[in-house]
Amino acid sequence: MSIEVKGLSFRYGKIVALDGVSMKLGEGAVGLLGPNGAGKSTLIRILLGFLVPERGEGKVLDYDIRRDQAMIRRSVGYMPESDCFVAGMDAVTFTTYFGELSGMPRQEAMKRAHEVLFYVGLGEARYRLLDTYSAGMKQRLKLAQALVHDPKILFLDEPTSNLDPNGRTEILELIRDISTNKSIQVLLSSHILADIESICGSVVILNKGRLAAEGRMADLRAIKYSLFELRLKGDGEAFRKDLESLGCRVDEMEDRLIKVYMPEKSDRMDIFRAAARTGVQLRYFVKSQTSLEDLFAGVVGVD
Amino acid sequence: MATVREKGYSHWDGKLAERRYPWWPITRTGIRLAFRKKAFKFVFAGAFLPSFVALVGLYISERLEDFKAIVRSNETLINVSPKYFKTIFTSDGLLFLIILVLSFAAAGLISDDLKHNSLQLYFSRPLSKRDYLLGKMSVVFFFVLILTAVPGLVLFIFKMIFAGSFKFFLEYPWLPLSILGYSALLTIFFAFYVLLLSASTKNTRYATILVFATYIFSNVLFGILMGIFRKPAMALFSISANLQQAGAFLYGQKLPFAFPAVWSFAVLAGICVLSAVVLSRRTRSVEVIK
Repeated sequence: MSIEVKGLSFRYGKIVALDGVSMKLGEGAVGLLGPNGAGKSTLIRILLGFLVPERGEGKVLDYDIRRDQAMIRRSVGYMPESDCFVAGMDAVTFTTYFGELSGMPRQEAMKRAHEVLFYVGLGEARYRLLDTYSAGMKQRLKLAQALVHDPKILFLDEPTSNLDPNGRTEILELIRDISTNKSIQVLLSSHILADIESICGSVVILNKGRLAAEGRMADLRAIKYSLFELRLKGDGEAFRKDLESLGCRVDEMEDRLIKVYMPEKSDRMDIFRAAARTGVQLRYFVKSQTSLEDLFAGVVGVD
Repeated sequence: MATVREKGYSHWDGKLAERRYPWWPITRTGIRLAFRKKAFKFVFAGAFLPSFVALVGLYISERLEDFKAIVRSNETLINVSPKYFKTIFTSDGLLFLIILVLSFAAAGLISDDLKHNSLQLYFSRPLSKRDYLLGKMSVVFFFVLILTAVPGLVLFIFKMIFAGSFKFFLEYPWLPLSILGYSALLTIFFAFYVLLLSASTKNTRYATILVFATYIFSNVLFGILMGIFRKPAMALFSISANLQQAGAFLYGQKLPFAFPAVWSFAVLAGICVLSAVVLSRRTRSVEVIK
């Protein structure tokens, strides 16, 4: 296991940010999901050693998060959410600088800075002053500085925030390439579910500082729900109440498509029986795969 | 035959080293960034003017015969002694030039990092808060030492070269230590002073103004209080007066103000302690919500 935490708790004054979080994360890309204030950034900051947990223990790459912070930071790349750079520098100087601070020899850091800047698509702009960079370029630059020392794990905090659709797609492509082809583990914190869904094989969902769900995306989808999409003719309200009495969640979409989330042990025939009981006609019936959005809504309890 | 690498990202095959001085890249980069400013280069060159004038004075003092036409009074006109060194290095002019250099080179050291959120990048590296602050302070150390200790020792050596003997050294063997001691005092004080003000704001222009304004305001305040109370202890409110008092003590000269030098040392130390507390609070890798 590359990241393992047990009973991790942290509070900012009276506000509980993390409450007994335990989890084990393996290889590949892992999504860290949760609504605002769920504790995602706090968890990353604890793993990096920025914050000392009140209770609990944890290891990153077998290094203790309380004792071996320097070793963790040497092996980990961090891309923060907010814009951050050093004024008056160009991209090569900036990336070299942080390579050196990670412990690389100066010449090696410089060589490597050129490589990673080309890799993230800043090759042509690498001698431009950072003050003149656009939001998208700054995102790429943050990724470059996180990669310069060839980390074993990348912590990415909202890597696609403030990006236009093209920029977002390109950054996601890079992250996908890093996690799948370059054998670097990625912990991707984001509130954009589609980003996590497109990149991560497994997901950790935090809610109010607690672990709400954890595991491989496919397993979580399979375990939690069976999702059916239908169209009706007849009294939809009675049909809905009938299904809800069976423990299903029924959502009506704008185009009158009805989504039925059935508990895993229920039988799909219950839907037909309910239709028969309430006198509605089923005009369309498809078993659908649950999206991460569905999973998130089900686990966190928000739409 | 060289390995053909895959275009794009490739793993680095080197080994990350545990640096003996992890703060050194911060210092080197801070110094380089200062020299990228055109105006700074002029200011920095100009800051050597007092030392250059002192060097000319040294030369004249040893070659009075050659300058009889210019220097008409007696031979003691330029009497090079520890007092000569104290006068140069505790002068208001030099102290002001140091403030000027630091306002260009160091006022933005922390304020820029606060403004651009780069502290979290520093602390995501194997770097402690102490390393970070030491790296930033060393930028100030570099500039202050190069304007005080280096010219001081060079002048001392040139005095002997111009005299062609070691007589001056044998008369005042402790003078190099005084030069180094006073330079160390200036260096440490200015490092804490400038970084305190730099960490007080996210705006580098404000930090620059603060560095200047605080220094000048302390002198003005001293002048006003002295005018009202007529007590030399009012000099304790002035940064330059405290440095001059401490400097006179370290050079073994008569104190410019009639109170013990230890009071001035205490005031300067107090500012350093205040600065250390503020720096410790302001240089956090994350904003802590209370």
